[in-house]
Amino acid sequence: MATSSPILRAEALEKTYPPLTSGAPGLTLFRDLSLEVAPGEMVAVVGQSGAGKSTLLHLMAALDRPTTGNVYVGETEVTALTPRQQSAFRNRQIGYVWQFHYLLPEFTALENAAMPLLARGVAKSEALAAAETWLARVGLAGRGHHRSGELSGGEQQRVSIARALVTQPRLLLADEPTGDLDTTTSTQVFELLQQLHREQGLASLIVTHNLDFAARCDRVLRLKGGQLHPA
Amino acid sequence: MRFELFIAARYLRARRRQAVVGLITLISVIGVAAGVASLIIALAITNGMRRDLQDRLVGSTAHVLLMKTAGDGIDNWRPLLDKLQHQPHVLAAAPGLYGQVLISRGPRSGGALIKGILPDDELKTGNLLQSIKQGSYGELQPTTLIPNPSPLIPKPIVIGQDLATTLGAEVGDSLLVTSPQGELTPLGLIPRYEHFRVVGIFNSGFYQYDSSYAFMRLADAQHLFSEPDVISVISFKLDDLYKAQQVGHALEQVAGNGFQATNWMEQNRELFRALKLEQVVTFIVLALIVVVAALNILIALTMMVMEKTRDIAVMMSFGVDASQIRRIFLAQGLLISGIGTVLGLVVGYAASLAGSHYKFIQLDASIYSIDYLPFAPRIIDALAVAALSLITALLATLYPSHSAASVLPAEALRYE
Repeated sequence: MATSSPILRAEALEKTYPPLTSGAPGLTLFRDLSLEVAPGEMVAVVGQSGAGKSTLLHLMAALDRPTTGNVYVGETEVTALTPRQQSAFRNRQIGYVWQFHYLLPEFTALENAAMPLLARGVAKSEALAAAETWLARVGLAGRGHHRSGELSGGEQQRVSIARALVTQPRLLLADEPTGDLDTTTSTQVFELLQQLHREQGLASLIVTHNLDFAARCDRVLRLKGGQLHPA
Repeated sequence: MRFELFIAARYLRARRRQAVVGLITLISVIGVAAGVASLIIALAITNGMRRDLQDRLVGSTAHVLLMKTAGDGIDNWRPLLDKLQHQPHVLAAAPGLYGQVLISRGPRSGGALIKGILPDDELKTGNLLQSIKQGSYGELQPTTLIPNPSPLIPKPIVIGQDLATTLGAEVGDSLLVTSPQGELTPLGLIPRYEHFRVVGIFNSGFYQYDSSYAFMRLADAQHLFSEPDVISVISFKLDDLYKAQQVGHALEQVAGNGFQATNWMEQNRELFRALKLEQVVTFIVLALIVVVAALNILIALTMMVMEKTRDIAVMMSFGVDASQIRRIFLAQGLLISGIGTVLGLVVGYAASLAGSHYKFIQLDASIYSIDYLPFAPRIIDALAVAALSLITALLATLYPSHSAASVLPAEALRYE
């Protein structure tokens, strides 16, 4: 675990959803929430369903805006960027893994893994070559021509990990990456994430319900009452 | 744009989760193709009809007519004619003397416009004489060229088919031609009249000529209208009929003061304006097919955006920005329209060229003056139709592509 300045820093975050009907109170998920993840650190976030774990990751990835507060990735205040700048920033600095693989069904595993590079404008041959390397690293060498429907759940999640890391980001955000997998496959996928985290020197923030996996992280935080507490 | 096209093209080819989206997409392509093909074929027909009409009209009449501004005749016309027919773009020139007459045969009568001509010159500037179906124009040659003309035989006249029908006249019949430009006598103005013999009946296919035109020898017309050695107009045939206005001005300059020129476009302006209007109305009506096809594109894309909301959110999560998402669906709409447009152009042109070559749509020549439906496809029409198709498709993509770009990833994936 490194001690240098954090890769991810959230300061005094508040997220309040407006009321659905007039007169009703709004829903406040976080109040004065702060968080830091250092380079090379793998932090797990646990908490009850509905506590706001996924929303927290959305705010870190600039997929959603906090009501107040700031999020920094490195020296960049991502909450101050324009939506277009946030997209470009996400593409280069953040890898995101969802609970469900969310692969694009019309494309092969190789094309799915190459997608962030293609979106950036990298030449197709170069993007596919990089994706092929990453598919090999997640144990799917030679499976690149398969579409998502032809892969098992674990394989699909491996492709989504390759897609998240193909841009070689500094920050990995994973939202219950093993939540849709059986026990054996969950373990394999989590160990893969751990291995890649180490090899790439990532800062990782992982939301999980699995307390065993959480315990294997550098630090565990519990989201409760709109605040993060050491678990 | 490569990324957007890559995604859009794959979305178009892929099998849909909702089969109805694929079906509507297919209907959209077919609709665009049908609209474009209909427009190309309809425009080819109106162009063909107009071209045919123009060819026959311009063939029947002179390209430029030169006359005196004051309406009086042109005397000493031979040197002028000789000078003018050597001007640039002039292929031929012919003298003519026009006059209004009443032609009667027994109890039947009809008004007519007489043109006194020299047949050899007239044939070089207009082909009405070539459309003689009964008899011939041979006897319209000047008397100096006819050996021993008999003074007892009435002078020759060639009349139009519809005028002949009105008069009940056939070749060989005698007609009484009465000119209002008569002689002044102590009893008042006495119209001049003379008997003529029908030597030919022409049928040009143009009612305005066939119902009221008649040809006689120039000398006979000058005698009938008491205009010795005077003509009223010089007709010109040009090497480029679209330079009629420009050449007309040049001829006015060369002829000197007191002359004015008119041309085939000015004389038939209303006719061609009506044809143009017909073409515009045809275009607008058939363009509605393309508009309906564009509505199909709108529906197909809107449904596809709904189907792809999750994928849009995922793409945004790895850095695809809203403008790229917008362009993906815009490209998809344009691909649908582009494929339909190309198909429509191919089908429309193939049908038009086949129609032009094989003449498989027959017409009644006695009604239309042409025995087949003419097709004349033009590149400019293809460009206009393609532009219309693509622009309407572009407009149809605005709403779905905007709604795709407005997807909020956190919201879209919250309940997945």
